[in-house]
Amino acid sequence: MTAPGSLAARLGSTWFGSGLSIHARERLAALAELREVEPGAVLLREGADTERFGVLLRGLLALRVGVAGRGTATLMTVEPGDIFGWSAAVPPYRATSTVVALEASQVLLLESGALRDLLRDDEQLMLALYPRLLESVSRRLTATRTQLLDLYARDREYEPW
Amino acid sequence: MVTAAGTAFLPRERLDALLDLLREGGRTVIGPTVRDGMPVLGEIATVADLPAGWRDEQSPGRYRLSDGHGDRVFDIVNGQMSWKQFTFPPRQKVGEMNRFAVDGSISFQPSAPDPPRLAFLGVRACELAALGIHDRVLAGGTFVDEDYRARRDAALVVAVQCTRSASGCFCTSMGTGPEVRTGHDLVLTELDDGFVVDAGSPAGERLLARLPGRLATPGEEAAASAAVAATRAAIGDPVATDGLRDRLMDQLDSPRWGQVADRCLACTNCTMVCPTCFCTSTSISSDLGGAVNVTERGWDSCFNPGFARVAGGNFRPKREDRYRQWLTHKFATWIDQFGTSGCVGCGRCVTWCPVGIDVREELAAIAPPALPAERPFIRPAAATPGRFEITTLRASHPETPDTATLTLVPTEPVLLAGLPGQFVMVDMPGFPAFPISVSRYAHDHLLLTVRGAGPATAALLNTPVGGQVGLRGPLGTGWPIDRALGRDVVIVAGGIGLAPLRPVVDALLADRGRFGKILLAYGARTPADRLFTGELTAWTDRGVEVLQIVDRSGPGWAGRVGVVTNLLDHRDFASRPTVAFVCGPERMMQATTSVLRDAGVSRERLFVSLERHMQCGIGLCGHCQMGPFFVCRDGPVFTLTELGALFTREGV
Repeated sequence: MTAPGSLAARLGSTWFGSGLSIHARERLAALAELREVEPGAVLLREGADTERFGVLLRGLLALRVGVAGRGTATLMTVEPGDIFGWSAAVPPYRATSTVVALEASQVLLLESGALRDLLRDDEQLMLALYPRLLESVSRRLTATRTQLLDLYARDREYEPW
Repeated sequence: MVTAAGTAFLPRERLDALLDLLREGGRTVIGPTVRDGMPVLGEIATVADLPAGWRDEQSPGRYRLSDGHGDRVFDIVNGQMSWKQFTFPPRQKVGEMNRFAVDGSISFQPSAPDPPRLAFLGVRACELAALGIHDRVLAGGTFVDEDYRARRDAALVVAVQCTRSASGCFCTSMGTGPEVRTGHDLVLTELDDGFVVDAGSPAGERLLARLPGRLATPGEEAAASAAVAATRAAIGDPVATDGLRDRLMDQLDSPRWGQVADRCLACTNCTMVCPTCFCTSTSISSDLGGAVNVTERGWDSCFNPGFARVAGGNFRPKREDRYRQWLTHKFATWIDQFGTSGCVGCGRCVTWCPVGIDVREELAAIAPPALPAERPFIRPAAATPGRFEITTLRASHPETPDTATLTLVPTEPVLLAGLPGQFVMVDMPGFPAFPISVSRYAHDHLLLTVRGAGPATAALLNTPVGGQVGLRGPLGTGWPIDRALGRDVVIVAGGIGLAPLRPVVDALLADRGRFGKILLAYGARTPADRLFTGELTAWTDRGVEVLQIVDRSGPGWAGRVGVVTNLLDHRDFASRPTVAFVCGPERMMQATTSVLRDAGVSRERLFVSLERHMQCGIGLCGHCQMGPFFVCRDGPVFTLTELGALFTREGV
């Protein structure tokens, strides 16, 4: 068991954690658990309850979406410092993708029910966490839009009128 | 240096014994310590005064200390203070002038040197070189500063070889470090368990013989050498010193002096922290009757407005004059005066400049080295409309389903003399000419990586081996490799945009030691659309961090998925000087440069390559005009600063 103080420091050294207040880091670290996961480990399943929220410390995660008959497609990968399971803090608390470790990875995990309880009790934490959460989600939204533009495609499908 | 006593090993827990030996005869030990959160050179009364576990992090205009990094005591590379604080104090009484009240007679009494007995502990190789330079300047000529000489004679010098470096370090270029070679009594190299110790003088040998401990094992000696060699490798060779004196003195009229002066605050920090700057002014304080007049010498700086003032005028009235004075003295005329450069490469002037003026960058800009990237403008072959040089297709290598790399052999050697990022106009009978960037220069051929995007490129890709192709080039501006000297380099490529960046990687790897960390972030549409896949691995093996990402995953792909900015989103480039070269679709370059700017890369150091409709490639046909530029002639490589609001603006 790693001491919460050192987990708060680990959190602070990530991109996500560096944007949180010290108070927020300490509160989150008190709930967090450090976990090593093997390649192939499934951390969340698309459509199921988001059971956990996590920060990737090391390794690489894939966000996958399934289409019946076509299998699952990786839509994006998560780099160290970023988060997964943001839907643990956003209704209806259901995972928007399946999260799979592509490499041996190290993650900080928070159980989603406990996280929501904590947020309800602690306005300071809420004020610190949600803007950072939105920043991460907004980056993904922007990136996904750019992906949709298919910039490297050969043919220009869109004419300017 | 191996002495009669041999190379010793001093266990960390016996460091106190070294301090005891140094203190013998009433010496005070001076070494690195942390006081009020600042790195200082001060008295080391016990081992606990040494900064165990403290490290410095430096970049232009920035210095931070942090602790908790283990037990090592010499991990702070350097701070703002140098040893001249003790050999050549900031204020020193030099004498008294007295006027006898009774008869008005006057007398002068120079101060007799009365140096404290000191032992300097933790003197770096660059600092030893600085002391050596002061020995020449202050005590090696016709006239001698007696106070300095006495202080030097009274001090023992215990050097430390560097096992870490700071981002400002360039001792390797100045030939002063990181290895300690001369000027020391003892030299330590710190390992986790203790110190490998050698003597460098008879006094040092006597100390070494009395030091507890044992002979160092071959393994410890090898570990010490390897640690110093790793420091050398980390620093690289960021300043091209060959011919620097002449190059600099040829540039007294460079417009860059004025540009630096716009940033320079003339605060004198660079000269105060410099371990070799020796200029002083005297000040006199007298009693009210003028009977007793004490003269003190104090550090002065050629950046002070009054430094070169005479009655009726000032020889260096402008800030740019004063910056030029400092830089040309340090790196050029000092050699004429004293037979050595006045710079030891400690990097303090870089770190402690409040606006982050980097002397390495200024030298490269004012007096650029003769690197391949700095070759003068080469008049392209076939530089008139309608003319092309004939080349022969030697080979065609498929890269992706729609892209291939063509090996073209010219008879005209100018076509092989281009810069990374330049392009050629390609023409074949039946098609209008079109631009293709060069993806590699070799001794007898050049490579063009071509995507079949239309009928002309399809015809080029269908040219049989042995067939002929017309080329005009090399054309346009290239990626300015010289701007990356001594810096970290971030290369971001999207799709076919890797082709014009490959010569950049070639150039950086050909001179690897002169550049910092190299990161290549490469985004492609699918795994099958990636170019140069074999080489990407080879570059990783040669010290390039290669990250690849695809918009759409594909069979067998277990790598990254998403847009190329995902590779940069969580990085910080502000703490080390960084240059970025970006090429891809304009929208991708917009997103990338935006992320890089947020991560700390300045607009002046962000280079992009633009694509425009080009027909002639030599600024005559007008197709590629964009604002004040013809992209073919004034680009395609621009800084974001040059492009300003034109960059990614629709419809211009």
